[in-house]
Amino acid sequence: MTDVTGPEGKRRYPLRWHVMDALEGAAGVLWPRRMAPFTGWLLLAPALLLVAVLVLGMVQIAESSLHTLDRSTFLPSEDYTLENYRTVADSATYLKVIWRSLYGSFLTVVFTLILAFPYSYILVRTNSAFTRKALLVALFLPFFIGQVVRAYGWLIILGNAGLVNDALELIGVERQRLLFSFPTVVFGLVQYMLPFAVLLLAPALTAIPREVETAAGSLGANWARVLWHVVLPMARPGLIGATLVVSTLSLTDFAMPAMLGGGSQDFIANAIYDQFFRTADQGLGSALALLLVAIGSLLVGAIFAAFGAGTLAMGGRE
Amino acid sequence: MTNLKGSVSRRTILRAGAMTGGAAMLGTLPATRLFAQEPEKPSEIIVRAWGGEWVEALKKGVSDPFTEMTGIAVRHDLTEDNEIQPKVWAAVAQNRIPPIHINWDTTTNATKSALRGVTEDLSDLSNLAETTDLAKPVGLEGYPIVNTYGYVYVLAYRPEAFPDGPPTSWKDLLDPKFKGRIALYNDGIGFHFPAQVAGGGSLEGIPDDMGPCWDFVEQMKAQEPLLGEDPDFTAWFQNDEIDAACTISTNALAAKRNGVPIEWTVPVEGCKFDTDGLWIPKGLPENELYWAKQYINFAITAQAQQTWLDGLGLPGVVPGLTPPEGLAGDPSYPTEPEDFEHLIRISSAVQVENESEWFSKFKEIMQG
Repeated sequence: MTDVTGPEGKRRYPLRWHVMDALEGAAGVLWPRRMAPFTGWLLLAPALLLVAVLVLGMVQIAESSLHTLDRSTFLPSEDYTLENYRTVADSATYLKVIWRSLYGSFLTVVFTLILAFPYSYILVRTNSAFTRKALLVALFLPFFIGQVVRAYGWLIILGNAGLVNDALELIGVERQRLLFSFPTVVFGLVQYMLPFAVLLLAPALTAIPREVETAAGSLGANWARVLWHVVLPMARPGLIGATLVVSTLSLTDFAMPAMLGGGSQDFIANAIYDQFFRTADQGLGSALALLLVAIGSLLVGAIFAAFGAGTLAMGGRE
Repeated sequence: MTNLKGSVSRRTILRAGAMTGGAAMLGTLPATRLFAQEPEKPSEIIVRAWGGEWVEALKKGVSDPFTEMTGIAVRHDLTEDNEIQPKVWAAVAQNRIPPIHINWDTTTNATKSALRGVTEDLSDLSNLAETTDLAKPVGLEGYPIVNTYGYVYVLAYRPEAFPDGPPTSWKDLLDPKFKGRIALYNDGIGFHFPAQVAGGGSLEGIPDDMGPCWDFVEQMKAQEPLLGEDPDFTAWFQNDEIDAACTISTNALAAKRNGVPIEWTVPVEGCKFDTDGLWIPKGLPENELYWAKQYINFAITAQAQQTWLDGLGLPGVVPGLTPPEGLAGDPSYPTEPEDFEHLIRISSAVQVENESEWFSKFKEIMQG
């Protein structure tokens, strides 16, 4: 600390002390000491405000979902009705789309975790700095490329005149239609979700002491038994966190089904888009949007109830 | 229906503009001061447009000459027509200034906006007197929209996939060799009406008896068609993903101009003919409304139409235009009454009322 006495015997303090004093004084005026018990709420205020805005939007969407479209004026009807929900319930198309979204989300979670687990494990356990850096670069590079660009990349690679078909032709295999199907959509989603899953799994695996695995091995367990009885159970929080994030993002995805599905593999988000922007039926679009929120919430709630929040609990009690 | 209230002062201004400077507007006078009492010029006007060949043609034929004559820059907003629609509707409902000055739109979509009452009346455009009946929207009062050209949803095909000659019927696409090699619009637009005929029905059955249409769409579904938007068709032809498509002739022409070997035809069952137009959303400041109207007024001059529609390869709404090279007598470029014999034109009113249902039914079949 600087403690300098001036020529006239007065103490001179560093500038930053004056700045801090001024800031403290201002804070005392804006948020007096007697308000200290509410400081936690003050810090929460931005988050609460954000949630409030979202809730307000949801309320508006809910209100909109209770009006049908009057096609003589293209304005919402005055009357409140559940007709839009009945339309969804009676439509084989929407039920099929909802089922496809759920099934696609499930498959994406399964395949993503199968790929992300070994990736994360090697990332955490490797002794080679080069390998770790290479894995990190490969993990983060896709973040710099948007989802749409990545989907276009697959269109180029998997297209009839794409790299994969060129390679197949070289080995005498006839060109195949690799794009525009349900498996292609799931493939695109898995590639998109992989970094998210690795980022959620890696901290959980880091928290498993290497010595625990060594101890299991020294007691006679082979690597498969160590994996099954030690690593996987201890990595559970990471697996749950990754499942939550990947399942909700996949369930609500728009771009991959739109671009890799060839128009016939819509998810719920695509059906919502169609109603808002293709047929101008905001009521039906709102009903579908609320259903998507409800399905997503139920899914997350069920996982929470069954397995806890995993790494998303941030160290809190599950 | 069109709401004409509040248009008195605008009309006054417009008439004054038309009398004093309308003729000059269409000529080649320099930009700075065309009108003696012209309203203040905005720095730019925003025109929503489709991208690619579409916006290039508009820029060359209408926007650039307009800027040259008036000094007002024209910015093209490439937001999809379906996506700008709710934004404009919301802006008008909330008494905000709309995000665009002019919407280049399908007549069916524009009719929805007119029915909702968000369009300005354009009846007082001086150049409307020089246009054909095609410019007038059917079933609407006044001119909430000005149609600017017509277009045909042709059957575009790759000649090498049809070695025995061009397809003569939409049913030719049911040949198993085309499985996975056909493309349609993802809402079926352009395909519903020829499908109605190909399915054994009649046009009189639209909209009450569309069973034959859906039967034929079911048969087409078995062919596993790709479903997309305008840019997809060009890309799919270029990337050898498809052999045939029901698409607007402009997209086929664009692909051909880009070197893709592609032809198009109107099969015996016919093809859908429709129009696009320009309209102005309500809520613009008076001076900006005036200049937006002048833009549309210019877009329906022979000079603008000739260049704009040369780029699109489409027939305009002004008599005496010269067809682009190679399109004279082409089925996608109808100009004479006999050219329309194999084209199917259904009124906007019927389309607007039933389009959502048709889209849903098409989706139901294709998503099934």
